[in-house]
Amino acid sequence: MPSTDLQPEQLKIWLAAVVRKDAAAFRALYDATSPKLFGFALRILVKREWAEEVLQESFVNIWNNADSYQASLAAPMTWMTTIVRNKAFDFLRRTDSTVEIDADTFDKEVMNAMESAGPTPLEALQLTDDAKALATCMARLEAMHRQAIALSFYHDLSHSEVAAQMQLPIGTVKTWIRRGLERLKTCLGKLGSA
Amino acid sequence: MDIERNPVLVDKLASEYVLGTLQGGARRRFESLLRHHIELRVAVAEWQDRLHPMAELAPVAQPSAAVWPAIEAKLGLHGKPLRKRSIWFELREDLSFWRGLGLVSTTAAIILTSLLLSRQELQVPAAPATSYIAMLSNDQAQPIAVVTGDAPGGKLVVKLVTPQAIAADKSLELWAVPKNGPPRSLGLLAADGSVTLALPANATPQTIPLLAVTLEPKGGSPNPDGPTGPIVFKGAWVQI
Repeated sequence: MPSTDLQPEQLKIWLAAVVRKDAAAFRALYDATSPKLFGFALRILVKREWAEEVLQESFVNIWNNADSYQASLAAPMTWMTTIVRNKAFDFLRRTDSTVEIDADTFDKEVMNAMESAGPTPLEALQLTDDAKALATCMARLEAMHRQAIALSFYHDLSHSEVAAQMQLPIGTVKTWIRRGLERLKTCLGKLGSA
Repeated sequence: MDIERNPVLVDKLASEYVLGTLQGGARRRFESLLRHHIELRVAVAEWQDRLHPMAELAPVAQPSAAVWPAIEAKLGLHGKPLRKRSIWFELREDLSFWRGLGLVSTTAAIILTSLLLSRQELQVPAAPATSYIAMLSNDQAQPIAVVTGDAPGGKLVVKLVTPQAIAADKSLELWAVPKNGPPRSLGLLAADGSVTLALPANATPQTIPLLAVTLEPKGGSPNPDGPTGPIVFKGAWVQI
């Protein structure tokens, strides 16, 4: 089952082997994480060929910099998604490309999963425990707060850019994002200690 | 302003930095502060762990089959028997373990060898001429072979204490695993009985901490730079 491959302990073992330049472990890491990371790159970049180029650059970076992964500071999936996100935004800057942003950024599939009470749809998405907790907490936010946060995260937008996208005053957007983030932190803290 | 004394501000800036809304000059100032304040780096790491799982909420998608070969090509991984190399790497990684065991295994090897020498009247150099020794064991720590090195005579004797059943098209090959660089072949072993090989002058335990035997095609590894088959037994090479 793919989701078990995404458990942090297994990912850490592969990353440690990648530090030793173990190509077999690198392949296993790629097989386990590339659908997730590609999905994320595609979410940001929309075009498959761009997302594939960014995925390729990201894995080259992972191979070369695995020794800079610090287990104490971040979960392995966090470390890898940070690389993909940075590479994706670098790509857009470098090629001077713009992405057609769908204002309804959060996928219906994910939203449906987050809004339904039962655990089954979340299970079907094969999320890590961290992502399940985040999905649960995001679902508890007001829809507009959630959309402002998601727009910013997936498209690297400033407050004013989010405001332009949502056709709202910048002050409102700032407040929504700040409140949304505070509530997420509280909610995740409760889930974590539960 | 001492930003680290204002945890509320630290948390707010870290969250907006991770989310992406902190941009332009404010972002650059925050990045330069990051280098000097561990509190900021911790806050950023915490917010990354909170928000980056959002990446997973995008639907899973399969990249085309061409992506992996492109990564391999870019990194020069393609076609290299890296899996084998990594086994040697792991063996060397084990060296501290082997060194820790050094004293114990030396004693054990000496006892075992003297037993063998006295009981079986082996055609091996007499004890004073034996300079180095290794007891090679399989993964289950079962002793398979004893290797004795006679440095002045430049000879190496390998005695199989547990006869091995190997296929007719295979050979057992003995390797010196140096601290650095690829393993060096010392020669082929008999599946049973003992065999005498040349001991290279520089094959001291100081440079060669480990000996290993691999299963190779008949006649030995076709690769001049190292083994192609799996390691079947190994042991620390120690001075006595």
